[in-house]
Order: sequence, then C-alpha cells, then structure tokens
Amino acid sequence: MTIARTRLGRRSALLGATGLFAAPHIARAADPIKIGMLLAKTGQIAGQTEYLANGSILALEQRNNTVMGQPAELVWLDEPSPQGATQNMQKLVQENKVCAVLGGSLSSYALAEEAKAKELKIPFVCDNAAATDITGKLCNRYTFRLNTPVAVQQRMLSPYALKYGKKWYHITASYAFGQDILKCSRENLKAAGGTEVGADEVPLNTPDFSSFILKIRQAKPDVVVGGLSGGDLTTFLKQWNELGMKGKIPFLEIAIGDTDIWGVGPDAANGIFTKLWDAYNPNNTPEEKAFATAYQKKHGKPPADKAWMGWITARSLFESIDAAKSTDADKIVDALETWKVPAGDSSYSYRKFDHQMLVRNLAVSVKDKITDKWNYFDVKATLPENPADLEKVFGTPEEIGCKMG
Amino acid sequence: MLDIILSQTVSGLVLGGLYVLIAIGLSIIFGLLGIVNFAHGAFFTLGAYLALTLMQLLGWPAVILAPVIVGAFGMIAERLLIRRLYDKEPLISLIVTFALALMVEATVRLIYGGIGQPFSPPPFMAGFIVWGPILITKYRMGVLVTTAVVLLLLWLFLEKTPFGRILRAGSRDPEMVGLLGINLPRVLTWVFGLGCAISGIAGVLAAPLWTVTPAMATNAIMPAFVVVAIGGLGSFAGAVIAGLLVGVVVALTIQFWPEASGAMMYVFMALMLLLRPRGLLGERWERFE
Repeated sequence: MTIARTRLGRRSALLGATGLFAAPHIARAADPIKIGMLLAKTGQIAGQTEYLANGSILALEQRNNTVMGQPAELVWLDEPSPQGATQNMQKLVQENKVCAVLGGSLSSYALAEEAKAKELKIPFVCDNAAATDITGKLCNRYTFRLNTPVAVQQRMLSPYALKYGKKWYHITASYAFGQDILKCSRENLKAAGGTEVGADEVPLNTPDFSSFILKIRQAKPDVVVGGLSGGDLTTFLKQWNELGMKGKIPFLEIAIGDTDIWGVGPDAANGIFTKLWDAYNPNNTPEEKAFATAYQKKHGKPPADKAWMGWITARSLFESIDAAKSTDADKIVDALETWKVPAGDSSYSYRKFDHQMLVRNLAVSVKDKITDKWNYFDVKATLPENPADLEKVFGTPEEIGCKMG
Repeated sequence: MLDIILSQTVSGLVLGGLYVLIAIGLSIIFGLLGIVNFAHGAFFTLGAYLALTLMQLLGWPAVILAPVIVGAFGMIAERLLIRRLYDKEPLISLIVTFALALMVEATVRLIYGGIGQPFSPPPFMAGFIVWGPILITKYRMGVLVTTAVVLLLLWLFLEKTPFGRILRAGSRDPEMVGLLGINLPRVLTWVFGLGCAISGIAGVLAAPLWTVTPAMATNAIMPAFVVVAIGGLGSFAGAVIAGLLVGVVVALTIQFWPEASGAMMYVFMALMLLLRPRGLLGERWERFE
C-alpha cells in the first residue's frame, strides 16, 4: 500500500510538474501577439501622429484584431525625444515583448530608432519620417520605410517648379528635413540652369514669418520652394496670405499633409505640393476605398493622408507576419522583403536592397474654391507619370549608398 | 538699405507687442505673488481656442469675452492650486505649474483634437497698408494698437486706482496690508486672474496669425521668459521695453542672418544679463552685483 501510494504520489508529482512546465506554454498560446507603436503623443507633431495611429489601429480592426489567426494588439508608447523614443523601443521589446515596431513620426526620432532596432534585432517599419538617410547610408536589415525620401520627392516636384520660372527662392526648416530639401532643390535648379535669388533657413517653431515674407517680396522670385513642416508650414501659409502674397508668387513644396492644410483654412490655403495619397483620388484601389469608408464610419470624417500611411505600413507588417507564420524577427524581415500588393498601374512593395517602399506620389494643387472642409486638393498628376520609371526615380543602389549591416 | 531696416523694424514691433502682452502677465504674477508660472503659456492657448469657439458660435464681437473667461479660469486655478504654493519652495511651484500646463494642453487636445484649427483675421481687417517702404497689414496694425491700449489701461489701473495701490503695497509688505484689514488672499486671486486674462488677450490676438494648436504655447512661453529676464523680474516698464526690443532684434536678425533668428533672443538675453544681472529695470539683486 505504502509503495503503491508512493508510486501514485510520484506519478501525480510527475504529472503536476509537467503541468507546471506546460502551463506557461498554454498561457503563452492564449496571449495576444503584440506589435509596438512608437508615435509622439505631445508636441507639434502630435496632430499628425493621431492620424497615423488611427490608421494602424483600423488596419488591425479590419482583420478582427488578429494576426496569424491569433488575437493581436498594438502597444502604443510615446516619442518624447530621440533618446526617449529609443528607451521606449527597448521597453516595448524587453517588457512588452512586441515582435515588431511601427512608428517614427519625425526624422530625428526615426534615425535614432532605426539604430536601436538594429541593436535589438527587431523589425521596425517607419511610417512617417522622410530623411533620405533612413533607407540610405544609415539603412539596416531590420528597418523598412514608407515615406518617399526627400531627394526623390524633390526630384518629382522640381519639373513642376521650373514651369513657373528659373528664379527660385528657398525657405526651408533649419533641421534635417529642410536641409535635405534645400540641398536637393539647389542641385535640381543648378542642373536646369536656374538661379537662386534667395534662401532662408528657418528655426523650428517660428511663430512669425512676416520678416521672411518681406525678404521674399524684395527678392521678386518666379517661384518660392518651401521646406517647412507641420505647424511651421501652416503658419507660413496663413501669413503668406495675410501679407497679400497668395496668387502673386507660386509656392511649391514636397510632402504636404492634409492636417497641415486643414489648419491653414480655406481662405488662406494655396500652393502646389506632392503627397503620397489622397482620400478623394478616384484612382485609389478597392482596398483603399474600403479603408476610407471604414475610417469615415468610425471617425466621422475622411482619412487624412497620414491615416493611410499608418494603415498601409501596419497592413504590410501584419500581412508579412501572416506570411512568415512566425513572430521570429528574421522571418518577419524576410517576409517584408517579399510583401507586395497591387496599386493601380503599379504595386506597393519594399525594395530588397534598401527596404524603401516604392510608391508613386501625387502632384496636387489647392483648389480655387474650397467647398468641403476636408477636400482642399485637385490631383494634377501621379508621379512618375510612367509607372515603369518608378524604380529609376527612387535611385539605384549606387546612388542610394545603402549597405545592409 | 534704410528701407529694409524700417520695414523689418515695424514687423518686429508687432511681434514684440505680442511678446510684451504674454510677458507682462508673467511679470505681474511673479512680481506680486512670487510665483514663476510655467502654466502661463497654457492660458495663452486657452485664449486662442476660446476666441475660435466664440467666433464660430456667436461671431467676432463675442471674441472679446475670451480673455474674461481665461481670467476666470485663472482665478479658479489660484483658489484651488496656486495659493497652496505661496509659502513653498520655488521648485514646487515650478513643478506644479508645469503640470498644470500639461493638463491644460491635454484637455485642449481632447476637446479640439491635435491638429491646427483654421482661424483667419476678421474680414473687416483684411488687406494691408503701404507707407513708403513699410508694409503692414491692417490686422497687425490692430494688434499694435490693442497692445498699446491694454498696456495703458493696465498702467493706469496699477498706478492710479486704490486697488492698484493695494497690489503694490501687498507685494512689498503683505503682513502690513493684512493688518490694515485688507483681505490679501482675495486680492492675490484677482491678481492671478488679471495676469492670466492678459495672457488670454495675447492668445486672442495671436490666433489669426499663428497656428492654433494645443502646443502653440511652446512658441510663446520661452520668449515671454526671455522678455521678463531682460526687462527685470516684476518690472512693468522693463517688460514693455524688453518685449519690443526682442521683437526688433529677431526681425533684423531674420534680414541679415536668418539661421540665427531663433537663437538671437537668447544671445541678447545672455549679453544683457552679463552687463546688468537684474535686467533693464529690475530691482537691485545684491547677491550678484
């Protein structure tokens, strides 16, 4: 009896022990797959990140909050500064156990985050930052990027600016984004045989542009090429109109966001811009139209271009995790490299050698009369006009200088 | 060249006028209450958003109510929060007012969203005036005139009314003022409300020029501190002179060295404090002189 009881006891103990070891696995299976989201929650850029986040959240909801057939959730941490953003990326990976990270609202944050992603070996899909180096000289195996690099967008916009004349005035932000624009625009102008009649580098968060606008008036350029971002662009356009310059000298800039122009208001809005996507573009794909309808239903207004940017990057990541059938970082990276979905005459995909998404940009101009407070633009062209030129416009491996670490 | 300098000087005076209005409330609150109010920019933002809401609901004349409402918010904040800081370490008041600023920004973001709100000058002030080399919009002219009127009324209030005399006496010897039977805590509530209301006026005037966002105070609060430091802590006239000087220095730097326009006000402040640590018209600071 005693022996039998002991045997039973041992068997029970063995079963119990097996159960104890097995329990975490059972619990892990029930745990949702976690995907990190690093987007600024405060500061000037927060107006845009709200839409980026809305787009990513909706992308997950459209899949019934599942990835690989399992429950999934987004964990959103802040980007208070480049250093704070990398600390939060570490927290997402080590404490929240995310399998990949979406984000990078500003170039300075994204450059810091991509270095951290490389160190932590975690897939990082950058949805907003446009600095050329992200998928250029500083590229790495774990970083993918949606936004078209500044140099490429500037190459698309310059032919439009030249239609108005060859005397240009540059007004650009005095940080990475603006400096990138200034450098590329000067190169394009020089190649076209044009003249720069003035250039101002403007500190971030400049509240008053009247002195800059007075200088532009004095210089009498054919065209003003801008390189301002977010709130600064909004303030500039308001004051450009206030000082009677709207319609007098054409203003052109790359990478306008809907949220930037909504803040200007219908009276003051003007200019010609590039942007990645427009909710009112009749050439949007059926999936994009379904996204726009779902967004309108959920938020009561059409999606801004930033919402689409959050949506398409999240979609690329979720579908890649599905394809990888794993949350293993290297398998997700491999799947992102082969991810491809149709987009009208071309497709959306990341290039293998620099992880840059190839997207045709839109050339848009502000409507003469704005009757819908969400619809400011007429789409003038899709760039490059020949889809076959897409790869060429984004640059060759030699031009890009990306060497995967 | 003289044309350009004249033109930029006028542009700088308008910017300086706004800086004066933001800084003067800060200066009054510090001078009379001894509180370095980091939430001052939040009241500037509130002024802009209330003006926007009142304009949309009731039309342009109602915008005049915005600073009054901001002042009332300021009085409530003083009663509930600020008055607990009067006898505390300066560091505590910095932290608490900074927290208040974050709370106001988050509340504005919750109500209005994070993106900029469209707000243009009123149609009756559209257009501009050209006097020789000087170009100024009618709205900016209105900002200059309003700033001058507000400053004049404020000076008359502080210097020529019994209430103003109580304020000045209270800032020098609160105990004696209390012994004379004056309810000083109530007076201080009014002072804080007044400082916030003036910041609200600056917010109303800036809203059609700047981008109206929850974070718009970022562009206002740092110049305000610079102006107060240059003018002398607690000095009314010092803040006025310093605000206009800072505006003109920034405008002229934009003309001749645009990349440095953001930093120049800080360089100007550093130079000024090296030469005169108490600021232009601040009271003598024996520890440093």
